[in-house]
Amino acid sequence: MSNRLFQGVMHQMRDAIDRIVGVVDTTSTVIACSELSRIGASVSIMSVEAMDAQEAYVKDGYTYMAFGLEGNIEYAVFVEGVDAAAGKYARLLSVSLTSIKQYYDEKYDRNNFVKNVVLDNILPGDIYVKARELHFNNDVERVALLIRILSSNDVSAYDVIQNLFPDKQKDFVFSINESDIVLIKEIRSGIDTKDLEKLARSIVDTLSSEFYTRAVVGIGTAVTGVRDIARSFKEAQLALEVGKVFDTEKSIVSYDNLGIARLIYQLPTTLCETFLKEVFRRGSIDSLDQETLFTIQRFFENNLNVSETSRKLFVHRNTLVYRLEKIKKLTGLDLREFDHAIVFKIALMVKRYLSANPAKL
Amino acid sequence: MASLSLRDICKVYPGNVTAVSNFNLEIEDNEFIIFVGPSGCGKSTTLRMIAGLEEITSGELYIGTRLVNDVPPKDRDIAMVFQNYALYPHMTVFDNMAFGLKLRKTPKDEIKRRVEEAAKILDIEHFLDRKPKALSGGQRQRVALGRAIVREPQVFLLDEPLSNLDAKLRAQMRTEISKLHNRLGTTFIYVTHDQTEAMTMATRIVVMKDGVIQQIDTPTRLYNLPANVFVAGFIGSPQMNFIKARMEETDNKELYVEFGTERKSYKIMLPPSKTKQRGITDFVGKEVILGIRPEHISDDPEVVEKATNGVVECDVEVTEMMGVETYLYLTFLGNSITARVAPTSQTREGDKIKVALNVEKMHIFDKETEKAIVH
Repeated sequence: MSNRLFQGVMHQMRDAIDRIVGVVDTTSTVIACSELSRIGASVSIMSVEAMDAQEAYVKDGYTYMAFGLEGNIEYAVFVEGVDAAAGKYARLLSVSLTSIKQYYDEKYDRNNFVKNVVLDNILPGDIYVKARELHFNNDVERVALLIRILSSNDVSAYDVIQNLFPDKQKDFVFSINESDIVLIKEIRSGIDTKDLEKLARSIVDTLSSEFYTRAVVGIGTAVTGVRDIARSFKEAQLALEVGKVFDTEKSIVSYDNLGIARLIYQLPTTLCETFLKEVFRRGSIDSLDQETLFTIQRFFENNLNVSETSRKLFVHRNTLVYRLEKIKKLTGLDLREFDHAIVFKIALMVKRYLSANPAKL
Repeated sequence: MASLSLRDICKVYPGNVTAVSNFNLEIEDNEFIIFVGPSGCGKSTTLRMIAGLEEITSGELYIGTRLVNDVPPKDRDIAMVFQNYALYPHMTVFDNMAFGLKLRKTPKDEIKRRVEEAAKILDIEHFLDRKPKALSGGQRQRVALGRAIVREPQVFLLDEPLSNLDAKLRAQMRTEISKLHNRLGTTFIYVTHDQTEAMTMATRIVVMKDGVIQQIDTPTRLYNLPANVFVAGFIGSPQMNFIKARMEETDNKELYVEFGTERKSYKIMLPPSKTKQRGITDFVGKEVILGIRPEHISDDPEVVEKATNGVVECDVEVTEMMGVETYLYLTFLGNSITARVAPTSQTREGDKIKVALNVEKMHIFDKETEKAIVH
């Protein structure tokens, strides 16, 4: 698409500048030129990516000037001649082509289109019209991943993610605020959640190992069709919010795998408060100290097994039994009984949910 | 190069989920330390705390002489390699290794020097112009290592870097990483759940379970002198055999262990090398766990005949011919044990055989605390 755009400009410039002008891409191939026969030919120059966007590069009687968007040098314009005028023309053309490309990309850019779909900035009726206009494949499966940067530094996480998924026809990367980056990724049909989590893990690991940046990733479900991309994104958003409350130690939360937290997160807070009052009517949960709560946590982790838990806690079995009796006395719940244990477990989660005071999506 | 000091490090997540408790470790310059343990034992969390990617709940972490608890990761002079490395698909190997430095605005000639040096160390100089899809798994792994090397850090942190590779490549990369450690002369901290990786590469191993250090020692000492039942069972493949027993003493004050059922039992007299060890008599009359490694059980008729102590009659359930050795899966009096015998062994499935336990190599653990009593 860019080639045609550039060729249009070169064609118009032919008469204004009485010299051969054209554009080469990163493979040093002429993609647009005032002399049509040159299109497709290779030129022997230094790699476009290695050129300095601020300085002209001269080779074999031509002056080159690199350009691209957002600091990514993708093209170089060339003008016949090595004199000062050639340098000036090259500079003018690079500025002009950058602006034209930017305008074109904004208008017809698929990335922008997907961003608008995800953020509901486009009318539902317009989605299909625009998708057709952009030749956007409506039949493939895609998934939304929301990457939240927790600790930023001087390196742009956006640049890193964009470079990890450079195929602009299939994958779309955009920022939605200071800390959140969205990746809409084309996936093979029937992909497993584990594979998506592995993909998310590779993003988190690359950001942390290469750039010391901490990130968490929410994963939506796989969807087909453009409109549903927004749904997948909202699921990814919800997964992150639920994870923030219930799975604080996890860096990857999949909407497919929220478990009981999915239910609790949907409960109205008044209902939660009523439930807590009912469960802890004989003694407030707040009267349980940190050590007791830690003991309970370990007891649950060890499947209500007293011997195993006492071994893990490095305490005598009787000490643990005493602690469990104390909890029973305070709350009326005997954690050695499955029914009581499950009520207590849910109550702890509800308490955590209320304490987190999450902003509902 | 740098030494590290981890003092009473704890990590507690919200909701009282304790990931690491009272972690104490002194790491010397140029050591190759490996954290090993089952999933969820806190080894990766500890590594991430060293990296600065997880906050330390309590305790102190020193790199060199500097307290780094509140120092951001980028200023800790460390480099990390994780299991799920991702290479930039559209970039050449050179650019993949240089990308991080470019984003940090490192001068071009400096980037070139570092990348070329790292490529030379990793022997990937010929691939610098290739893109990731043209590389094999091992070569990609080397590029991932290269991205860490170009940072010229004081400490390398590696979190299961070989887990995604197949067994053959993993064995090859183990050697490569050991060589790399020698060549770089830098401190390496490596996390794995694979005890073979730990045993073959580490100068010292930290065995962890449930966020608690079980033992810190050299591979040899860890194998020969495990601190408890967990370490004894975790290190070694096939794992150590455990038999529930009771320690008793004869009228002549000679110690022995007895195991079996009410109808039939075996007595094994403890050799002087064991009975001389301090505190052993405290366990007389108590339940203990007898530990014996598979290679210390012999089915060789000559050895069995000569043995005056520790001979047990077993049923052979399964035999596995491994090439250089044969594994015998045996049962006796409700116990299942594995023996590692010579490939020339004539024992077959369904046989009833006598095996000799090498009593000098036996370990005895306290049944209650699971700590080692004697080795």
